[in-house]
Amino acid sequence: MRREVALVTGAAQGLGRATALRLAADGFSVAVNDIVDDGRLTELAEQVGGIAVPADISDPAAGPAIVARVTEELGPVYVLVANAAAMAMSPLLEARPQEWWHQIDVNLSGHFRVIQAVIPGMRAQGHGRIVIISSGWGVIGHPNATAYAASKAGLIALTKGLGRELGPQGILTNAVAPSFIDTEQLRVDADDAGISLDEMRQRYRELIPVRRLASPDDIAAAVAFLAGPGSSAVIGQVLQPNGGVTRTRA
Amino acid sequence: MTSSDTPSVAVITGAASGIGKACGEVMRQAGWRTAGIDLNASGTDMSLRADVSDRVAVASAVDQVIDRFGQIDLLVTAAGYYEEGIDVTDITLQQWDRMLSVILGGTVNCCAAVLPHMLSRGTGRIVAISSELALAGSATDLHYVAAKGAVLGFVKSLAMEVAETDIRVNAVAPGPTDTPLLAPDSLWREDDYLATLPLGRLVRPEEIAAAVYYLATEGSMYCGEVLSPNAGAVI
Repeated sequence: MRREVALVTGAAQGLGRATALRLAADGFSVAVNDIVDDGRLTELAEQVGGIAVPADISDPAAGPAIVARVTEELGPVYVLVANAAAMAMSPLLEARPQEWWHQIDVNLSGHFRVIQAVIPGMRAQGHGRIVIISSGWGVIGHPNATAYAASKAGLIALTKGLGRELGPQGILTNAVAPSFIDTEQLRVDADDAGISLDEMRQRYRELIPVRRLASPDDIAAAVAFLAGPGSSAVIGQVLQPNGGVTRTRA
Repeated sequence: MTSSDTPSVAVITGAASGIGKACGEVMRQAGWRTAGIDLNASGTDMSLRADVSDRVAVASAVDQVIDRFGQIDLLVTAAGYYEEGIDVTDITLQQWDRMLSVILGGTVNCCAAVLPHMLSRGTGRIVAISSELALAGSATDLHYVAAKGAVLGFVKSLAMEVAETDIRVNAVAPGPTDTPLLAPDSLWREDDYLATLPLGRLVRPEEIAAAVYYLATEGSMYCGEVLSPNAGAVI
């Protein structure tokens, strides 16, 4: 029997990478996308026995091109994990419009076009799973992150709309909204704050009721649940494995 | 949390039928030992007959589980019953009190009995079964909805109370599920209602059990969350 195909955007590192590895372990044939392939994407594709499909999803032509290649080489996409994200911190009035809108173009509009491209194949199969990676900041907001929060909140609304629109066709759309994850991003945050990585971890831990950062594997497990057989009645929902940071405020 | 030589132990209330029964079956298939607390006999490894609204009876049942299995890794509170088609002015005091004592009181009694054992080990998972009706509201079943809503408040607060340990408290809020709890002539079984659901069908008990299993095995970062396998009833 042919393995079901999963496509993960933003898979070069962090939770995209962890998700690709988890889905491969769960038996999916996995295609991995990121903005460029600096070697890591090909290495990951080899590791998961899938293919690398590098492309910048903010380019309107990228979504259809990625999906066409995956469909041709692996088969129709059964699971789309919409994970790629751009993020830049700055107060609203100091944000350059170009930088502000780039986050919307990648996170929200980019995935809108990738989703548009996978739907025909899912409809033809009569089933499909769309798992959108939102963010706790898309649920509760965050200072100096208006574009990121807007894009991620937009993805939550997209999840709910797609859940209702595609559910009757057997396509289930849900979201995962992580908050603080122990990924490479922490190093960037620490450098921004001018503190050490350990100090950064400690600062974040204090913001989390369970006093522990999520690991990329925790988030990958949530994606795997939403991609797997156990979530067949879950639709239009936002899972928030964030240690209690948002506590179901979406 | 499952070590290879010691099977994990689940205590499940309402284990004789419906969602509780499905939870017991899923946990057993995964290699867990199961104890069921129910008014009726359950197909669990350890069937205990008790009324969850009776605090002393629940404590005694939990003591027996500890005596036999030594630990409790998971508590699932699924015991409950449903009444519908009652105008709010017709809900009697007895109906109100009984509903609250079983659904809210039962959840509280079971948590109070199990929590000391989890606290002494510093780890455990509690999953309370609430209802999508508690999120969206409903009509002609107000006592049930109020009790299920109270469970959500209880879960979120208890989750925070033990957040700094490895004990996690969360809820699952099923949509209308195909169990004996829904009478054959229930409004939730009518075609007109089902057509309003994005999935167009009732939820199956094993779909609720799958959400419970996920929280029990990979849910260490959920704290006071509500998972909603509801066929799209509440989005």
